[in-house]
Amino acid sequence: MPVITVKDLHKSYGNIEILKGIDLDISKGEVVVVIGPSGSGKSTFLRCLNLLEQPTSGEILFEGESITAPKHDINSTREKMGMVFQNFNLFPHKTVGQNIMIAPRTVKKQSASEVEVIANKLLQTVGLSDKKDVFPNQLSGGQKQRIAIARALAMQPHVMLFDEPTSALDPEMVGEVLEVMKKLAHEGMTMVIVTHEMGFAREVGDRILFMDEGRIMEQGSPEEVFNNPKNIRTKEFLSKVL
Amino acid sequence: MKKISRIIAFLLSAVILLTTGVLTASAEDATTAVNKKLILGTSAEFAPYEFHKRIDGKDQIVGFDISIAREIAKDMGAELVIEDMGFDSLLSALQSGRVDMVISGMTPTEERRQSIDFSDNYYMARQAMIVRAEDKDKFTTMKDFKNEKIGVQKGSIQEEIGMTISGAQLTSIDKIPDIILQLKTKRVNAIIVEDTVGTGYIDSEIVFADAMPTNSESYAAIGVQKGNTEIVNAINGTLARLKSEGAIEQMVKEASILAAKEESGNIFNTAWEFRDYYIKGIGYTLLLSALGVLFGFIIGLFIALSRMTNIRIVRWLGTAYVEVLRGTPMLVQLMIIHYGLALTFGVNFSPLQSGIITLSINSSAYLAEIFRAGIQGVDRGQMEAARSLGMTRITAMRHIVLPQAFKAVLPAIGNEFITIIKESSIISVIGMVDIMYQAGVVKNITYQGLNPFIIAAVIYFVLTFTLSKLLNALERKLSASDNR
Repeated sequence: MPVITVKDLHKSYGNIEILKGIDLDISKGEVVVVIGPSGSGKSTFLRCLNLLEQPTSGEILFEGESITAPKHDINSTREKMGMVFQNFNLFPHKTVGQNIMIAPRTVKKQSASEVEVIANKLLQTVGLSDKKDVFPNQLSGGQKQRIAIARALAMQPHVMLFDEPTSALDPEMVGEVLEVMKKLAHEGMTMVIVTHEMGFAREVGDRILFMDEGRIMEQGSPEEVFNNPKNIRTKEFLSKVL
Repeated sequence: MKKISRIIAFLLSAVILLTTGVLTASAEDATTAVNKKLILGTSAEFAPYEFHKRIDGKDQIVGFDISIAREIAKDMGAELVIEDMGFDSLLSALQSGRVDMVISGMTPTEERRQSIDFSDNYYMARQAMIVRAEDKDKFTTMKDFKNEKIGVQKGSIQEEIGMTISGAQLTSIDKIPDIILQLKTKRVNAIIVEDTVGTGYIDSEIVFADAMPTNSESYAAIGVQKGNTEIVNAINGTLARLKSEGAIEQMVKEASILAAKEESGNIFNTAWEFRDYYIKGIGYTLLLSALGVLFGFIIGLFIALSRMTNIRIVRWLGTAYVEVLRGTPMLVQLMIIHYGLALTFGVNFSPLQSGIITLSINSSAYLAEIFRAGIQGVDRGQMEAARSLGMTRITAMRHIVLPQAFKAVLPAIGNEFITIIKESSIISVIGMVDIMYQAGVVKNITYQGLNPFIIAAVIYFVLTFTLSKLLNALERKLSASDNR
């Protein structure tokens, strides 16, 4: 059974249709990388997956359960879907440690000692154990994004969504964030990643989706999409970015 | 956070206890008023009828009206409780049942008889004209007052006489000492006042004019709630006894002697001499302001949140609340809460309760707007990140958005507190013993027109200035923890 199933997903803002019918299955442990020109609807699609954007029509199933059903409690689904944003969105009034611990404490009501152990382990994973008690504004961009990943992982999600995680970073900091994401992929995390890092997409992605004008124009393994694109739009796009 | 909510819970329960205590107390009064307590409404600005006087260092309300009231209470076997308020408020206080009787040198006019009942007359007075000493020769007959500027007490019999003088420009003021000041500062050139009252104010500067309004005998009687014949009979019984004993003339004489003026000193002496008055006033001003801001904070937060929900009707109600409260004067809100609710629904709040309620709802409207700006100022991504972690909207608000919003609007909240300290002075008009009220009391005792208010101004300034410095320090400390 796929972890996420998307059926005929549409999203409009007023008269402007951003997503024009998306169908997709994502399997457990799969790393799906979404590429495409800006304005193609990549981020909107990703944000529909955890209902940060409410789809106009269509259905999304998460682990067999329809999350677009009217009575569905989206909060319980979001616990299992971590999300990492382009602008980090760390909580500036909380220390790094508190940023990681707040959701398990308030949402899952886990005990302080239990959460403390999780936080320490995650800080080690992202290589920032020494930053536990500092505030986010003392971190570099790359460090912030690594903490944001740790914060999402603290909820022990089944799926991680990445919305252009390296776009706001200085070039020299992109590597450290991608490194953490690679580690996650190798550990078998199911991931959906919107990115402009083509090298990373080719290396880590199990499947590449090329989106344009609100539709999935082409999809396949990195070799198929990057080496032998079939769609004319894909070719145009790749010739510009590669 | 826990500590703060505990403090709020404590204060809330304290106020609820306070409120219910007073409410039940006044409910008991209603049933057993005549047996236990007799509440007298009076406007103690009217020497020698009733006025403030320090006796043995303590402020008391005295005068021959008060002496009569004590005799009535004694005959009824009740304890006399005096409620001091503006003359204008006396009728509504009586109608709303806030007081049992009104003795305030009140003339039983036909107009007043429409809304309340009166006892037999207990005193007859004549009206007189007071002018500045140097003008005495200008005013020998009533015709000389044509087209003059004349001061009278608002809502009084003198105001009616003033209206019959052709071309006279009347200045109507609530309190007699203020009218005297108007004359001395040449804002009016004559005042109409009762002879009994005027005697107490005559000095080297002002004198009685030879001219007197004709047919101006007026009578004073005791006002009671319409239809309460039981209390009228009791009062008339006491009045008959006092008249037969000749006690009332004796009381008037004693009161006139007591009303003789105190010497006026310099501002520092006044401040020192009346420090107890001002300290009491500071206490109440701070209590009013602190509770006003505290409850305003809580109410304002709910209003701000209700203005941001998805439910249209709730949003609309929140907006209406803010717009109405910001668009009407606080004085009007105070009058509606203190007198309007009492007249319409029989809800009798004490001046302290009315003051706290008025300040709370008034400041809540302003604080709601401050909070709204603060919450909207928090980056949208904060809410999204919190929701993406599985937090509910409420949890995200509480842990993520509101703490950041509060920090951002702290200076604005501080300013609102400072504003409330100043605006709380309005509550003095319903007899709340705050700094402003005490300044008025000191003025009435000392007959100094300026000094008591200068002292009040200095106190208000010291309070607000100190507070704004403290807030600055707090802000610096908070932003230091930010390491910005």
